[in-house]
Amino acid sequence: MASWGVMKGELYDIYLSTAFELRKHLRRRRLLIIAALAILVPLIFYATTPDTAGRFSIASLRFLSILMIISAAMFAGDAISGEFESKTGLLLFPTPQSRTSIFVGKYIAALITTFLVVTLYYIIMVLQTIHLYGASEIPPELAQSYLTASIYVTSVVSVVFFFSSILKRSIASTILGFVLLMLVLPVVSGVLSSQDIEPWFIVTYSGELIISVLGQRSLFVGPGGRVTLETYGPDFGPGIAVMAVYTVVSFVASVLIANRKGME
Amino acid sequence: MEYAIKTENLVKKYGKNFTALDNVSIEVGKGDVVGYVGPNGAGKTTTIKILSKLIRSTSGHAYIDGVDVNKAPREAFYKVGALIEVPGIYDYLTPHEMLTYFGKVYRMGNDQIDRRIKETLELVELSAWEHKKIGAFSTGMLRRLVLTKAIFHEPEIVLLDEPVLGLDPAGIVEVRELIKRFHSGGMTIFLSSHLLGEVAEVCNRVIFLNKGRVIASDSIKNIESNMKYSVINVRFLEPLSDERLEALKSVQLINGVELEDNIARIQFDGELETSSRILRQLVSLDYEIVSYSLESMDLEDYYISIMNENKGAD
Repeated sequence: MASWGVMKGELYDIYLSTAFELRKHLRRRRLLIIAALAILVPLIFYATTPDTAGRFSIASLRFLSILMIISAAMFAGDAISGEFESKTGLLLFPTPQSRTSIFVGKYIAALITTFLVVTLYYIIMVLQTIHLYGASEIPPELAQSYLTASIYVTSVVSVVFFFSSILKRSIASTILGFVLLMLVLPVVSGVLSSQDIEPWFIVTYSGELIISVLGQRSLFVGPGGRVTLETYGPDFGPGIAVMAVYTVVSFVASVLIANRKGME
Repeated sequence: MEYAIKTENLVKKYGKNFTALDNVSIEVGKGDVVGYVGPNGAGKTTTIKILSKLIRSTSGHAYIDGVDVNKAPREAFYKVGALIEVPGIYDYLTPHEMLTYFGKVYRMGNDQIDRRIKETLELVELSAWEHKKIGAFSTGMLRRLVLTKAIFHEPEIVLLDEPVLGLDPAGIVEVRELIKRFHSGGMTIFLSSHLLGEVAEVCNRVIFLNKGRVIASDSIKNIESNMKYSVINVRFLEPLSDERLEALKSVQLINGVELEDNIARIQFDGELETSSRILRQLVSLDYEIVSYSLESMDLEDYYISIMNENKGAD
């Protein structure tokens, strides 16, 4: 009974921390900027309208992973390091709330915010599809793509959250998270693919499922700048499993590190 | 005796070569206002951060009201409020929003939160700013606001680390008055400071720390009664001639004289009886004395004397 009481207390603290952190995100200008991108970027694809709704979705979704990474970097990058860097932790930590509940709440808040951005993007895209092709033309696989994107969000937020736990400065964790997901991992994937090694264990490769569930294989730039149709594509089950592993490992490691971090 | 705060052999090491705290054992009784005094880098903030579980000690134990802060932090922190260094602030919030959040963290009911917001903001004269963004506050207002956060849940124990840091003289006076009011409300206060005037004014006990070690601990009353007053300030009716000054210096029992205009600082052995005998001699030698008083030795002098003793011990 006592442990249930403790757990109830922890859950309430997580709820408080999530609400507190969400308030911060909702009042930030960066949310407005990212929401504006989520609304405006899909409109660009009006310029060159493909002949089918499926192709239109694929073209639109190419920008989504970039938006997801920007959003994760912006909202999770300073989640832990910010409390130490700006010394707000001196107010927040010496309270009955455990650090674990504080950081879990922060993670959930970053997740919700990024998830909302992704949802907004899909809503705009669906509205565009209806406008251009009619409601009946909406690809049924789009729901699967949306679910995949929702899972991918948890892994990219976790990876950035991890950097936030190990680095002292928010700007460093934000940039490092962004560069790793945006540049380093895709380049490594590309290099491995060019060597005939499937990069199944790289989360950004798994992230391609968001598009590939719509029936599209990714394009890779091969030697000499030649664009080739890649022979590999992430399989759905293993791809989702890789995302889940990145999510759990990065998140658990972040919380453990943040709990041990001294407020010097 | 039950202690509000207790540490047992606290040790904090950074790397192999630097020991910030070296077996620090302190006890703070319930209802006391204890000053924790030492030069910068003595280990004051380190002790308070260990008590607040912001950092971990290398060894030793820290207790709040008998509860080990590492074993049962939740239980310990319900009883304590803390203001440590100069905390960052959530500049996008209003005092109302910030205090409401912390009220919920302390499991206060909505009515209680509303009541305490009114009471505490009134106490620190920030009532008019209850719904204004904290980002627009001055340094003094921020300091008062974070003090409000420390006492918001009506804790039994308050840890204050350099509470007047960065404040102007008016702000310092305001914060000292607030500390006195907290104490009159029955709170135990553990105040780290390097400002001896502040400690002498608001504390009833003092613990001196130097280079991570407790070097002295006593009540302010005991310290004051044990101080030796080894200088007498004498104001003469007129400035003394060289001849009269030499005569003064040759008076038995006087160890030395510094003269500035008509005021002499006479050094003696510090015994009250000696002081009385010197006065009698001066009168018998026809010195025209306007005032005769022992130069008061304050906490600062005491601090310097024990620091010098400690230097000698090293």
